[in-house]
Formats: sequence, structure tokens, C-alpha cells
Amino acid sequence: MKFCKRTDLAVIALILALAGVFYTLHSARQKETAAFAEIYYYNTLVETVALTTGEERTFSVKEAPNVLFRLYKDGAICFFSSDCPDKICVNTGLLSEVGQMAACLPNGLVLKIVSLAADELGADIAIG
Amino acid sequence: MESSKTAFPKNNTAKLVLLALLFAAALVLAALENTLPPLPLPFPGLKLGLSNIAIMYALFFLNFKSAFALAALKSGFVFLMRGALSGAISLSGGLLSVLAMIGGLKLFKTGLSYMGLSILGAVFHNLGQLFVVGVIYGLGFMPLYLAVLLPFGAAAGILTAALLKALLPALKRAVCFINKKESGRL
Repeated sequence: MKFCKRTDLAVIALILALAGVFYTLHSARQKETAAFAEIYYYNTLVETVALTTGEERTFSVKEAPNVLFRLYKDGAICFFSSDCPDKICVNTGLLSEVGQMAACLPNGLVLKIVSLAADELGADIAIG
Repeated sequence: MESSKTAFPKNNTAKLVLLALLFAAALVLAALENTLPPLPLPFPGLKLGLSNIAIMYALFFLNFKSAFALAALKSGFVFLMRGALSGAISLSGGLLSVLAMIGGLKLFKTGLSYMGLSILGAVFHNLGQLFVVGVIYGLGFMPLYLAVLLPFGAAAGILTAALLKALLPALKRAVCFINKKESGRL
């Protein structure tokens, strides 16, 4: 059997085209200005952080006290430290654009950047 | 696909031995992958999925049932080592990957080569995992992740197919050996 056939190339082309479509969808979202970072603990929103305050702080959420988040002056946010084994969350680095997210699956935490518009849609979210 | 499905032993013990060997190979490949340095990509946590080589071998040369069995066993191992969540993510990825490769086999008959099937398997592995992560963690639709995972899955699929091709003689020898033992002794 041949290692690569023409249909294979068609499959690859289709996959790349789909990726292109998803990337376009993502960049359409990205044009919105990042306003908040949402922190989810398994399916529940536990904290909404305003990104544009210009302050720099390190904090954690009570559901997972061993995980530290850090917000920077320029509005970027990241997983600062975590007690998980693989540190994928910390290695994801800084998030600052709408649609970006980082996750610490062992601790059940997801950090997600949303725009003001997205936040208004979910009107049940209180901003502290 | 001119696979040699007859190579699968008829004797139950021989079947068990062969599946156990493939399962062990899958685990060793996964362990080996974990010792490699992380891939230099902007997205951490992406893996090549080398253990899919064992599952692909089962699917192409043995039968569909053994491929499903291996995928489920591997998720069971992940469940034991890393907990229920990781187990669920692994199971969804593994089963969807096998289903996608069977779908590719049935749909395209001989149109797709190992590489095409391997790409389908890798991409659907990613999609299955992303789906469960999205549902459990309430992430919804993740276009950025899809845009990154699809081409990465294609690349990983090409690599695992090449490795399967390279490992094929060794795997075939193992199966022949088990078959010989089976006919000689039982």
C-alpha cells in the first residue's frame, strides 16, 4: 500500500481549510476589546476580573487556593503558579486577547478573556 | 485495504497475549512521549499521541473490536493514573478516533492510505478531547483552539503513520511468533 494517496491530500486540504475558517471566526472575535477575565471552576463562573484597572496584583480563588493568578498593569493575566503536576496552565503564559484561554484541568480551573459585549450578553454576571 | 486480518490468532489465549502486548506497547509509547521535551509551540500541552500507533495497528491488521478494546483499556489506565476527568477526556478522544478511522475505511474503501486514516484518527482524537473539555469546563465553542488543533492533528497523524510504517516489520514478527506458538502447541 502506498504511504500517501491523492485522497489523503484532499483530507489534509479540507482540514487546513476548516482551520482557516475557525481562525477567521476567532479573529472576528478578537477585534473586540478585552474587558474581563472570567475564572471558571468546573462549569461555574467563580470570579470576573476587570482587566483595565491598571493595577498589578496576585490573587487566588477560594475553590483552589493553591493556584495563583497574576494580573498585570497592561491588562494581561496569567496563571502565576499552580500545584498541578504538568504546569500546562502556567506555561500557557500571558493572556490579553478576547477568546484566549488557559486551563488547569487537574484543578478544574479555566481562565478566559471576554469582551464587554460578551459580558453584557450574560447579564446575570455581577462585576465586583 | 489489503490488510492481513487472518493474522489474528483464533485461540483465545493467543488473542489475549497479542492484545496485551499491543496494550503494553501503547503504554510504553505514551511513557516515552512523556519523557520527550515539550514541543516548541505557542500552545502548551499538545502531544503527538504516539500510543495511537498500537491502536492503528490493531485497527488495520487485526479487527475493529480489538482497536476499540485497546482505546478503552488505555483510557482505563489514564483513569487509574490521573483520575476520572482525564479518563473521560481520554476515552472520548480514543473512541472518536477509532470511529473516525473506521468511518474513513468504510467511506473511502481503499481511497485513503494509512496516512490519511492516521490523520483522521489524530484530528478526531483532538476533537473528542476538546468536546469533553468544553462540556465539563463550560467553555462553549473554541474557534482558536480548533484552528490550532486541526493542523496540529494533521501533522501528528502524518508522523504517527510514518512511525507505524517503520514499526510494521517488528509488529508483524511478533504476531507471526504468537501464531506459530499457537499452531505448534495447541
